[in-house]
Amino acid sequence: MTAAALTAHGLGHAYGDVVALHHLDLEVPPGRIGLVGANGAGKTTLIKVLLGILTPTVGNVQVLGADPAEDLITVRSRIGYMPEGECLPKDQTAADFVSYAAELAGVPPHESRQRASDILTMVGLHEERFRYLGDFSTGMKQRAMLAQAIVHDPEMVFLDEPTAGLDPSGREEMLDLISRLGGFGINVLVSSHVLPDIERTCDWVVMLDGGQVLRNGPLSGLTETGVVELEVVDGAETVAAELRRMGAQVETSGETVTITTTSGDPFVAARDALAATGVPLRRLGARSTTLEDIFLGEAPGDE
Amino acid sequence: MSDKTGVVYDLGYKPYEGERLGRSGAIRAMLRDGLRRTFGIRRKSRKKVYPWGLVSLAFLPAIVFVGLAFALSSFAPEAESPFGGHAQYISLVGTVIILFCASAAPNLLIPDREEGVLAVYSSRPMTAWDYIWGRVGALALVCSAFFLLPNLLMYVGFAALDDAGLASALIDNLDDLVKILVTMVAYVVGYGAPALLISTYAKRVGPAAGTYLAIVLISPAFAELFRTLDFPGSRYGTLIAVLQHPEVIRNWVFDESQGSVPMSAVGFEPWVSVLSIAAMGAATIYLMARRYRREL
Repeated sequence: MTAAALTAHGLGHAYGDVVALHHLDLEVPPGRIGLVGANGAGKTTLIKVLLGILTPTVGNVQVLGADPAEDLITVRSRIGYMPEGECLPKDQTAADFVSYAAELAGVPPHESRQRASDILTMVGLHEERFRYLGDFSTGMKQRAMLAQAIVHDPEMVFLDEPTAGLDPSGREEMLDLISRLGGFGINVLVSSHVLPDIERTCDWVVMLDGGQVLRNGPLSGLTETGVVELEVVDGAETVAAELRRMGAQVETSGETVTITTTSGDPFVAARDALAATGVPLRRLGARSTTLEDIFLGEAPGDE
Repeated sequence: MSDKTGVVYDLGYKPYEGERLGRSGAIRAMLRDGLRRTFGIRRKSRKKVYPWGLVSLAFLPAIVFVGLAFALSSFAPEAESPFGGHAQYISLVGTVIILFCASAAPNLLIPDREEGVLAVYSSRPMTAWDYIWGRVGALALVCSAFFLLPNLLMYVGFAALDDAGLASALIDNLDDLVKILVTMVAYVVGYGAPALLISTYAKRVGPAAGTYLAIVLISPAFAELFRTLDFPGSRYGTLIAVLQHPEVIRNWVFDESQGSVPMSAVGFEPWVSVLSIAAMGAATIYLMARRYRREL
């Protein structure tokens, strides 16, 4: 069995009287992990605990098998972090700063320059690498921040709201970059309150609300409903009747037939019903829910 | 047609499999960054003007003194040297160190907080203490160089002119070197610590530098006021002139008159200044640790 990337047992953290994380129990496998929740849900606090900046008030947490509260240097040697706000010095060039970020992670100076150049090329800043970071646009800054987070080839990278402030095309490009990170062997934890971003980039989701875990599981398992929809051309009621005769429970709406329960595979039932009735098919597919639907369905109403 | 086949690799990302220097590498990187930052290296040209101007101010007089001493020894060997010794030169270098600390300490600490760069340090193999020592070390290193190198130039230069020969003069005047080193510690800690302390809490570079220079200018006036007041314990108020403590130690080490330095005028022994500087250094490190452990 693959070792967990992140685990938490009874993890809690409070800022004075304000409880930010409340008894979290988690076991998250390696891969691309989405950390979702509304503002104030505890996402950034959890990341700071994982980084070892904050110490758990109760419980413990492990990152790649090491506890940041007890073995800070080991954890920090294996991770990267792209914070939510800016983290770029305005008076340095992208090449200088990303190279320095590599040196801070222990990459020797003579190798850090080349490494910085390669990573800046990968994030699309090759031409701009000798420009001062203070002159960068928001999209370029986000790319530079991602570059500093991965320049030292970490085993895991924490990305806190990586698409914040980006225009639609910048957002698309950032999401593409994040999607590629898994292919480089880097585990990714993406924290975001933009749920479509998580759906687009992650294969595992941890949903937080009010400092508690709402859901924790694979994205496919969360969004699959087991419901199949088929859209036909003139004959929805005919197909629905045939499906009911076959023992399925169905609903119709216009030319759309929804199979909610069936004794066997709903796709096989749909195929057989269409073959028996001869009604032309326009579209057939599983109905999936969105993270937003799940979140709104499960989060308390005061959010 | 060739039957050779090729493989196209995506060179967009290459895992790093080389050496990793760990925590010590991170601290060394911070020291290098501190030196580059304080001297404006790999920064815009305007960032270089002030620090390199101060370098000139610290070194040029020493170079001129040694050069003129050489010329004088050639053309008028019997003439007395018109140039002061190390104690006098330290006064000049002390002023340069104050001006340097006013700019360097805020630039070392404040942009990291204001621009969010501390977040990058928090994901590297280092602790809050490593960050503090990296920054304090960079300032101490540069201030020490400001202090030591011109004095060393004079030490070696004047030894070369000595009738006893270079080697003998260097050995005979070894106590001067020890005095320079002791005084250097007093000046670097005494002038650097207040600058770092202000920069630990200030939000902008300009106001931090202004506050430090204001303390330099105003605190002796307050100390002088306490000296003239006549109420129980008023003499302790003279210790407020924090930046004059190194001067007391210099006078003490080089057997110079304490002159009108307020704390000496009210009867404080030089070791009180030693304790004051040590307390200021320890308090600065303690408060920096308190400030940064929340963010790193």
